[in-house]
Formats: sequence, C-alpha cells, structure tokens
Amino acid sequence: MSEPKRLHPVAVLLNILKSIKELVVPFVLVIVIPGRNEGIPGWVQPLAISVIVLFLIIHAFLQWLRFTYRMEDGEFRIESGVFVRKKRYIKLDRIHSIDISQGIIQRIFRLVKVNIETAGGTQADAVLSAIGKRDAGRINAFISTEKNKTAIDVPEMEKDRHSRHEGAVEASSVYKQTLPQLVAMAATSGAVGVFLSGAIAFISQFDEIIPFDRIFKNYEAFIGMGTIILTAFAIVGLLAVYVLATVSMVMKYASFTVMKTGEELIISRGLLEKRQLTIPIHKIQGIRVIENLVRKPLGFATVYLEYAGGSVEDKESLTIMLFPFIKKKLLQAKLGEMLPAYQTISEMTPIPKRALSRYVFRKAVFIIPIIGVLSWFFKPWGFLSLILFPLGIFWAYMEYKDAAWNIDGDLLLLSHRLFSKQTLIMQRSRIQAICYKRSWFQSRKGLATISASIKSGVHARIGLVMDVEEEDCRTIESWYLPKKTVDSR
Amino acid sequence: MELENRISNKALTVWKISGLIGSSITWIICIAIFTLTVFFEWTYWVFGGVVILSIIQSYLTIFLMPSVKWKRWRYEVRNTEIDIQSGIFVIKRTLIPMIRVQHVETKQGPLLRKYDLASVEISTAATMHVIPALDLAEADELRHYISRMASVEEEDV
Repeated sequence: MSEPKRLHPVAVLLNILKSIKELVVPFVLVIVIPGRNEGIPGWVQPLAISVIVLFLIIHAFLQWLRFTYRMEDGEFRIESGVFVRKKRYIKLDRIHSIDISQGIIQRIFRLVKVNIETAGGTQADAVLSAIGKRDAGRINAFISTEKNKTAIDVPEMEKDRHSRHEGAVEASSVYKQTLPQLVAMAATSGAVGVFLSGAIAFISQFDEIIPFDRIFKNYEAFIGMGTIILTAFAIVGLLAVYVLATVSMVMKYASFTVMKTGEELIISRGLLEKRQLTIPIHKIQGIRVIENLVRKPLGFATVYLEYAGGSVEDKESLTIMLFPFIKKKLLQAKLGEMLPAYQTISEMTPIPKRALSRYVFRKAVFIIPIIGVLSWFFKPWGFLSLILFPLGIFWAYMEYKDAAWNIDGDLLLLSHRLFSKQTLIMQRSRIQAICYKRSWFQSRKGLATISASIKSGVHARIGLVMDVEEEDCRTIESWYLPKKTVDSR
Repeated sequence: MELENRISNKALTVWKISGLIGSSITWIICIAIFTLTVFFEWTYWVFGGVVILSIIQSYLTIFLMPSVKWKRWRYEVRNTEIDIQSGIFVIKRTLIPMIRVQHVETKQGPLLRKYDLASVEISTAATMHVIPALDLAEADELRHYISRMASVEEEDV
C-alpha cells in the first residue's frame, strides 16, 4: 500500500465547512457588526461575499487535490498544502494512537475520520478527514503489523517484555460496558455540573435577545404565587438538566468496548459520533483510577489511560477511559487481563497517624477565617457556618484515610484525595521525575510530600501523597534510582 | 545526606539585584500613592500601610530570601541521575534519571550575562527543571555532560 492515495471527495465539503467555521468570527466582525455603510454601493457586499465563498470552494478543492497519503519504508507519509507544500513523514513506531471517529457527515457517506497521533502536541499529527472504512482498517492493520515487525527486530527491553506478555495471552480479551452500567456511570458522573454551567452560559448569551423582562412582567402574578412553586419549578428544571446530562453522557459512551489484540488496545464507543481509538500497549504511560464522591461509597471507580498522544485541539483525545464504570473489587482482575504490567494486588501503605493533625491543620487554616468572617458580618445566620468546622474535619479525615502509597515490583502507586480519590499507577520506566518536598512543619514531624510525574498528553500527570513518612520517601527514591534499569540491560 | 554542589556565589548578588528591581517598582507605587494622598487629601493610613508592606517586601526579597534560597540550593549530577534540592520555606528534592532527559539548555538573561553566569534547563518528556546561576563555564560543561550521559541510553517517551 505504497502508492499515494487521496481522501474521499467528501473531504472537499469538510474542508469548506472547516474554513467557514474558522471564518465565522472575522466575518461577523467585518460584515455583520458594521452594518450598512452609507458610502459603499449596495452591490459591493454580496459581491465580496460571493467572491469569498468561491475562493473557499476552490481552495477546499485544491486542498483535497493536493492531499495524498501513503505508507512506505516504515513511515506514514502525508503530502499536502496548496500554497505551501507540506510533507509530513511519521515513523510508524513513533505513533502513539490511532483515533477513528465518525461525525454526522462521515456517517451519511459511510466514511470515517482518522487521527494519527504521536507524542502530545497542539494538534493531531495526521488527520485524514474522510476515508472509506476499509481503507481505515487497512491503515490500522498495516501500522500494527509494521510495528510488530519492528518490535521483534529491535530487542528493546520494553517491547520485549511486552511481547512476552502478549505471547501468554494471545487470545484477545474484551471488556464491555453494559447499558445499565453506563446509565449508572452517567448518573454519578457529575457531568451535570458541566452541563449546567454550559446551559447557564448559553442562556446568558441570549439574555439581550430574548426579552426576559417582558416575559416575566406577564408572569408577575405567577411569581407572586410564592416561593414554594418557584422552588418546585427550579427543582424540576434541575432534574431535567440532570436527565439531559445523563442521556448525553450515555450516548457519548454507548456500547463502550475495550478490546485487546496482541500489541494494542482498541477502545470504541459512541452512538451518534462513533469513536475508535487504537493505542499500542507499550506507549501507555500509566493508569489513573478515580473514585468520585458518589461512586466511592458504592464501590465503583473509573479508570483512565494516561498516554502521551492526544492533542490540545481535541479535548476528548486527552482523557481516555479504559473502564468507565467498574466495581473496585473486579478492577485488578480486569486490569490483569488487559494490561498485566499494571496489575497489583498488594495492600497500599497508609501514611502515619501523626499526619492526621497536619491534614486537619491544613483545612482549619482556611476554614476558621471563613467561619470568623461569616459569623462576624452576618449575625445571627453567620453562625450556621460553624457547621463547616465538623465538615472540614471530616473532609480532612477522609483525605488522610485515602492517602497511601505502594511499591509493587516495577510499579509505584500513589493515591490522594481532594474531592475524588485519585490513584496513579506508574511503571518505573515511565516516571519522568520524582520529587519530595517538606515544609518546616513537616520536617518537624519527619513527614514529606512525595510526587511523581509521568507524561500525559502535552503535559504531565502528577501523582502525589502528602505527609508520607520521610523514611518512605527515601525508599521510593532508592527504588526509583535507575541502577536496576541498567542491570536489566 | 546533603548534596555536594552549590550554585555560584554570584547568584546571591544577582538575586539581590533582581529583588532590588522588584521592590523599586513597589517603591515607585508608594511614591505615586503619596502624591495622590497629598493632592486629594486622602487619609494617610493607606500610604502608611503600603510603606510598611514595601519595607517588608524589600527586606524579604533583597536580604532574607536570596540568602536562604542560596543556602538551600544544592545539586548533584551523577552518572545515572540528577538530584536537585531547592526551596525557601518548603524544601524540595527532585530526582531525574538521565535516561528521562530529553534535552538540556543553558540560558543567560542580561543580569546573568553581566556576572558571567548561566542557568541550566533540563527537560524531560513531561517536566522541566532549572538549575539557576552557575558559572558560565560550569554550566556549559554540565550541559555537555548531561546531554552525553542522556544520549547513552535511548528510550521512548
């Protein structure tokens, strides 16, 4: 498959839509906002617009004409550009993920969009906006077979170990999320908050267009009916938003499936917009387990993959769910099937008891002033803020209880809690740097804050535990020191 | 187990100068407030408060912090890892294995150039670490050394 290929002609349409989207803001600024200009004859505006549109269409067509892709010499090669010719050659074993998605337009024509990503950047490295499904399948297969070839050729420690793992579990394992699970996940996801703020932002945009004043004047009588009915309406409204958020989340993650085929994980999901992401297992940087406020008491968790691919432009490519909603008890077993390198069953080491007072202190430092101010200025209702105190202590206690670390072979686990509990599972060979800090208060108690960073998307993902025994920091540090990496070579 | 290397003595001077520049801006604001106070007959409390804050800031940024910072700053570059200690109130120790280093840079601002110093920036795939204010020759040597050690072992992100 080395002859240059073009995208499907629908790409022309997509190009036009994309440039229109990019031009909306300047268009509004230049043409709509100034309104009718007295000096300029009336025919200038339509002419200008039609010239621009014609130019867009021609440009989109040329873009399509000039865009070719091919695969040769272990590289994925793209040549593109109308005025400036661009050649982009991506080494296949530098590819971190292949993201296949289907928007509405692609769906109509039974096409797919393919994003090929290398380690994090502001935009995807190669975007094939519209190609046939069969072509996409072929690209995917070609890249993975090519990669397996290199994996065998180059006896690199990493790949070697993984391919041995794969040898043991050749039969691909599958993880599916059932619909009830998905609904439960969406209902406990806290997506409502995002949705709600989005809705508020949206409505406030139309504040000036929709005559709220007039509407509400007519309903003055209605408002007069009293707070109970208003509250009822508010609750119904909130409920509606909640249901909407849940439904949209379910649609986004509908038929969520993770498949393991040899060297790769394939994650597919979506109802309206289908997405399929292929990640080579040896490019995975770490695993993040999140247990949020609602899910933790129920014993459920969400598991994310940390990988160096993904682009800032496409936010969804930055956080990849491995298991959206999984029972904590089943987690390790499932992880063992999918990513045996990240399986760990040993207990976490808790932080020492004397750390508890540090956690309480940290909360008290900002809660006491708040209580003080509220109680002073809003007597007598301000005294209600005293409730914050036991709440804060409880919160501190939860944080203390969930702070833990563990070393298991080549894995480092760090978990801490702010609202949700985050556990980061990292392989030694993936940790970019480890640091530990101690403030004056901490060193007096022989405690320290340890953190480890791995590469995730464009930036770093940091796992940290506050107030670990200082001795333990030393242990982690000496575990991390690369002497063993050298030995194993 | 204290680390071996300190950063250049001259860093102290550089930090004091930059502290001086920082606080001189605050003092200019102070003077502006003073003139406004005189002209519009404001209460002198505001001016007094700002002056006290400026004095504290000047003391901290020109005298206290540079010397504490300098005392804390230590580093050690070994064959397989880089160990950095920094901090003023919170002491921070960072450990970067050589194989994680992606590239090393030396940098020189106008102030550093005047004192013949340079800072060394060490980047991994995900993080960046800076050793500030080393003697230029030492910084260059360090840069060469780190990049040589880092390229010995090749590994993916």
